[in-house]
Amino acid sequence: MSNIIEIKNLHKTYLKGVVPTKALRGVSLDISAGTFACITGPSGHGKSTLLHLMGGLDKPDTGSVHVAGQEIYQLPDKELARFRAEKLGFVFQFFNLLHNLSVLENVQIPMMFTKVPKEKQEEIALKLLTSVGLKDKVRSRATELSGGQMQRVAIARALANDPEVLLMDEPTGNLDSSAEKEVMDIVGRLHEKGKTIIIVTHEEEISRKAQRIIRIKDGCLDL
Amino acid sequence: MNKPTLIFRNLLGRKNRFTFTLSGITMGIIALVVLISLGAGLQAQIHQQARDLGANMIVTAKGWCAYEQVKVLSGAQLPDAILPEDLEKIEAIEGITVQPYLTLGSAINNEPVSVSGVRITQLKDIRKWSIREGSFPDPIEQKYGIVAGYAVADSFDLSINQTIRLRGHEFTITGIMEQHGTADDGVLFIDLQAAMEVYETQGRVSYIAVQVDDINRIEYYSRLITDTANVAVISDQQLLNSVLSVVNTVGTTLKIIAIIAILAASFGIINTMITAIYERKRDIGILKSVGSSNQTIFQIFLGESALYGLIGGVIGLIVGNGISYVITPLIAQNEFTAFVRASSVSGTIAWQDMGFILLGSILISAVSGIYPAYKAAKLTPVEAISYE
Repeated sequence: MSNIIEIKNLHKTYLKGVVPTKALRGVSLDISAGTFACITGPSGHGKSTLLHLMGGLDKPDTGSVHVAGQEIYQLPDKELARFRAEKLGFVFQFFNLLHNLSVLENVQIPMMFTKVPKEKQEEIALKLLTSVGLKDKVRSRATELSGGQMQRVAIARALANDPEVLLMDEPTGNLDSSAEKEVMDIVGRLHEKGKTIIIVTHEEEISRKAQRIIRIKDGCLDL
Repeated sequence: MNKPTLIFRNLLGRKNRFTFTLSGITMGIIALVVLISLGAGLQAQIHQQARDLGANMIVTAKGWCAYEQVKVLSGAQLPDAILPEDLEKIEAIEGITVQPYLTLGSAINNEPVSVSGVRITQLKDIRKWSIREGSFPDPIEQKYGIVAGYAVADSFDLSINQTIRLRGHEFTITGIMEQHGTADDGVLFIDLQAAMEVYETQGRVSYIAVQVDDINRIEYYSRLITDTANVAVISDQQLLNSVLSVVNTVGTTLKIIAIIAILAASFGIINTMITAIYERKRDIGILKSVGSSNQTIFQIFLGESALYGLIGGVIGLIVGNGISYVITPLIAQNEFTAFVRASSVSGTIAWQDMGFILLGSILISAVSGIYPAYKAAKLTPVEAISYE
């Protein structure tokens, strides 16, 4: 199977105050299309940084990231934004829903950036929310939902533009066990449908389900 | 979902801050609209008053400034500065019609009221006065008669045959005029001779309105009058310009203050929008992570700022027009505001001016949003999304 993600010699340094901290030190890896991969490792060792760089949310110091054959850091801002909207879906630990909007509108947001007509946006969003079991919550505000429900909305939003890759940063880190099961069931179904799923997690339960485990330690791959 | 909906939701999601920031810009627009509206009414009324003066020239005492010239148009009290011998000399000039005015003051129920001594019989034709009740006083049989302007009769609830004491002399109201929409509505008119006698001016008058038979010879008569008598002459056009320049100076100053208020409100918008960046850093990150470009974030923030201007501008225009319509009749009367009170056109503002005000409001608000919008757009997605 062809690689959907190809990372070469990725370096990233952050400034903590005035002290430079190396988050990634020359990471190189490939991920095949349709893989369910977990990135694990101790806290603060570069897992989330790697995920953010895969998704074009940050800029590496050096190195390259190819997603679906495209070197994403060669793209100008506008095209990178469009690429994110079309090819990538993000799910975060703290759900990151927009509280001023309804559940339905939250799911519609990514489609606004890919110029999907309003009626079509609503149709797709409804379908996705039905698929994650939230059909009856479409008009609710995000703040009226439980943690598990919010994360399901976040997954529906991530799927709005039918992306090839789902990037999930501790998606169950803030959920109780039943909500975690609901979320992971959805993730399992998505994987079965052929989506590439990359999850940053501390939880071994999730890692066990993954086809591939990528361990990060001190900013390097722990082989 | 589209950008305008998102912009609306963002603003309405913080109702208190939205309301207070909006109030700032709205207040500024209200002030501007009221001032422009009253100014427009004032100017229109001055033009009308100048037209109704029925004179090509005004003869005044030497050395009068614009302030006194305003009073000529408003009918307010002026010093009795033209000597009887000068009046006599001017009246002797052929080819002109002369109307002397003695503008005085008195009080009814301790409220100041303007009184003018004029030759009522001639002036009523020149000014095209019409009577609502009673009749104009006969200069011989009703020497101490009063014909009251519409507004003054209405304010003091005056009636026919009612007596009013002016300088200890009893005058009787013989007539109440129709509303003419000029400063005449606010004046009690009495016979010139009676006024000179009661106010003991020894034949002096305040100013003289002069009508020239041959309009092409205004210059000639103007020179003739100043050569003949120890007075100054001002043409009706000069008088109008002089009064307008005073009014415009006051109006411009007030408008500048209103514009400063709007600019001050624009800093409120900057403040609100910068606060919004910190409050919504995570939201900015979310939008970027799901596909928003820097340009879109910039547009959203700029749109929110401009919306303050649009909503504030519309509310300001509606409320400002309403206020100027309501407060016009309540304005205390003085030399300047007498025009506004009497005006039937005050409380209005041209559509074109409203368009400019709305556009200005949107523009100022949008400009206020440029810096915050730039700052918001420049945040990296990961920086924004990691914000706690």
